[in-house]
Amino acid sequence: MLFSSITFLYYFLPVVTALYFIAPMPRGSTAARNAVLLLASVTFYAWGEPVYVLLMLGQALSGWIFGLLIDRARGNRRLARAALLGSIIAGIGGLMFFKYTDFLIGNVNSLFGLSVGALKIALPIGISFYTFQILSYDFDLYLGKTSVQRNFFTLATYVTLFPQLIAGPIVRYVDVERELRSRSHTLADFASGARRFIVGLGKKVLIANVLGELVAVYKSSDENSALFAWLYAAAYSLHIYFDFSGYSDMAIGMGRMFGFKFLENFNYPYIADSITDFWRRWHISLSSWFRDYVYIPLGGNRVKPARHMFNILVVWFLTGFWHGAGWNFIVWGMFFAFWLLVEKFALGKLLKKLPRPVSRVYVLLCVAVSWAFFDAPDIPSAARTVTSMFAGADSLAGRESLYYLRSYAAPLIAAAIGATPLPATLIGKLGRARAGAAVLTVAEPLFLAALLVLVTAYLVDGSFNPFIYFRF
Amino acid sequence: MNKNGGGSGFFKGASARHLAVFITFIALIGGFFILNRLVKPPDVSASERRELAKLPEFTASALASAEFMSGFENFAADSFVFRDGLRAVRAAAVFDLFMQTDKSGLYFGASGAGKFEKIDEDSYRGAAGKIRALAESLPDLNKYFAIIPDKSIYAGGYLPGFDPSEARAALAGQLDGIEYVDMTGALDGGDFYRTDLHWDQTRLAGVCSALYDAMDISAPAPDDVIVTAGEFYGVYAGQLALPMAADTMRYVSNAYIDGAAVSYLNARTGAMAPGPMYDAALFSGRDPYDLFLSGAQPLIVIDSPNSRTDRELYMFRDSFSSSLAPLLTAAYRRVTLIDLRYLDSRVLSAYVDFKPGSDVLFIYSTQILNNESILLVK
Repeated sequence: MLFSSITFLYYFLPVVTALYFIAPMPRGSTAARNAVLLLASVTFYAWGEPVYVLLMLGQALSGWIFGLLIDRARGNRRLARAALLGSIIAGIGGLMFFKYTDFLIGNVNSLFGLSVGALKIALPIGISFYTFQILSYDFDLYLGKTSVQRNFFTLATYVTLFPQLIAGPIVRYVDVERELRSRSHTLADFASGARRFIVGLGKKVLIANVLGELVAVYKSSDENSALFAWLYAAAYSLHIYFDFSGYSDMAIGMGRMFGFKFLENFNYPYIADSITDFWRRWHISLSSWFRDYVYIPLGGNRVKPARHMFNILVVWFLTGFWHGAGWNFIVWGMFFAFWLLVEKFALGKLLKKLPRPVSRVYVLLCVAVSWAFFDAPDIPSAARTVTSMFAGADSLAGRESLYYLRSYAAPLIAAAIGATPLPATLIGKLGRARAGAAVLTVAEPLFLAALLVLVTAYLVDGSFNPFIYFRF
Repeated sequence: MNKNGGGSGFFKGASARHLAVFITFIALIGGFFILNRLVKPPDVSASERRELAKLPEFTASALASAEFMSGFENFAADSFVFRDGLRAVRAAAVFDLFMQTDKSGLYFGASGAGKFEKIDEDSYRGAAGKIRALAESLPDLNKYFAIIPDKSIYAGGYLPGFDPSEARAALAGQLDGIEYVDMTGALDGGDFYRTDLHWDQTRLAGVCSALYDAMDISAPAPDDVIVTAGEFYGVYAGQLALPMAADTMRYVSNAYIDGAAVSYLNARTGAMAPGPMYDAALFSGRDPYDLFLSGAQPLIVIDSPNSRTDRELYMFRDSFSSSLAPLLTAAYRRVTLIDLRYLDSRVLSAYVDFKPGSDVLFIYSTQILNNESILLVK
């Protein structure tokens, strides 16, 4: 089920919210409310994946059982490690089978001249996200960072929690362990969550979907002009940011409405002044997952330079591959590995000396080029776009690109401003002034109401627009 | 709770602003939920001229295949309360707030509302192949082909849609032996309804002249009487959902048209039956353009005893020709209209006896050429 759908907004959400708050909390116990969330989450997932919901619950069960084994083996390092290995094999094995089998078959066929038929397995929505959540639980248990959860239903509530189930943020068990046991619900949290949810919804429906149309137009056009390629690069950069950060806003907002405080997943990535900085601001829950469970166990930066480089390459190969079963995603990951290595071993100090606008332009250029690979069906298509951006276009501009520049100028400008901290800073300043706070008391609910009605208008009159990160 | 936050339990730390946001959210999400339960949705959207999605049947197989879910998503969007009003809100946001120049191809330009659609070259070539196959099966006829220009080319500025030269290029070499009749210069933006895709019958003199010139017919000049059927909103008015002035539908009456006899194929019985040239009752139906030759019909024969020649014309056509064909009664003794969307070419010979030496005109709008699969030519 999509957050940005009439079904979710005006059927699922009101019913689940009502049931959730009607459910009793005797002596502060969250058991009944967790049960509502678990039931709602299973329904939410089954709405789009009526068969794969069993796979998701099976993976949660597997993670829970291996968690019990890791806990039981505490004190016996070898046994605990074996149980952890079992959890990794079950989780990554499932992910590999459903996500990467056909990619591997295709490459084996190409390499050895074989013609093994593809299995054509449909990718279960959100498998990359919930697999990483389950693994984080077993990893943290093994590392002694958290305590075992003996109630399967509580762990299943964590794994399947519908606000962040399908496209993150990748919430770690250790971060919500206490809230699963006991959490408070306040009007302030609910209102803050609702505000965050509506703003995220607006980002997705009014900006990301609109710019997605421009991306689609570019892909279906025969015009090979530099303007069109740059228009696409700008549109896609903003489209993916508003799509994914909009989803994260909605997830964090709904979590807050239900008493959870999920960690932030984005922090204005397009104002970063280095690629290193960019990845501290973009999809924070994924980069920190790889940092804590892959990079640091490999030795991180506390090793010889050659090994350090190797660790970075491994992490970014895996980051690229996590996003999709295609060479373009691997190239995308390695592209970032290259720039991170360049920054760490060569240009890092120089970047810090550059005027901030210059370093930001450098980041934006690198990221825009990376998205061409990320979004392309294959590497030659990405190469064509990048070539058109820099040198190889037939013309500077064509009639079609000029038309769409005019048509999408306002959404692009609005998105570019919205991708900076400027709106939040201005609202913050206004809220700190006495008169401004009074204005906001009236203006904010009106603005949110108008935003929700406008989003509803787009959904009633629109077409199906799934979130980009659903396919990961 | 107080202005600066405070209180205890659920209200701990809440401010007036929190309360206002909370009430707004609950009122909208809950309010629309309740309204959608209380208000029975219509079966048909008059503005969009389509049946609205209904609640799908709840079965185990529909659930397992997720068909129920996709059907429900359509139902939820189609049955939403204040749907037309919300569609207008979206249109206003697209054009006024975001200042976009079209809404998914729908635009509002100098010649009114329209929808641009790029040429699908594969579909054009597929359509040309079907026309060629039909033309080859009619060896003793004079063959003509015309594309009805999309009104977007007259919108008063470049739109990334139909392009006559691209259309010709897509068909280049595909229709050898069939004379192309260029209608681009015979029309302008004012010749189309402002809210609909169709042309205005009272403004087709140029089109008739282009055809007569190509077919070597000395153009008759009948004394036309213009009859007003009434005001209507065309298909683009509903799709755009913007407030706009209604169009006036008018039709031509003259001695040739009034003296002609029209017969329609009854698809159920297979027999031809007489009917009206203009059916005023259909003007009030779902598509007012059905006034002309009763809308979608597989086969129509118009006999014109007063025509200036005794020549016959076979038109392979779409809806545009419903308003054009009556005007051709001045020149042709018989006009046969064949709509391959509703009549399969394999059974054509059972209904139409092509008279050698006659004219055959393949005349299609770009909407059909872009969707050639709907032409039943095997």
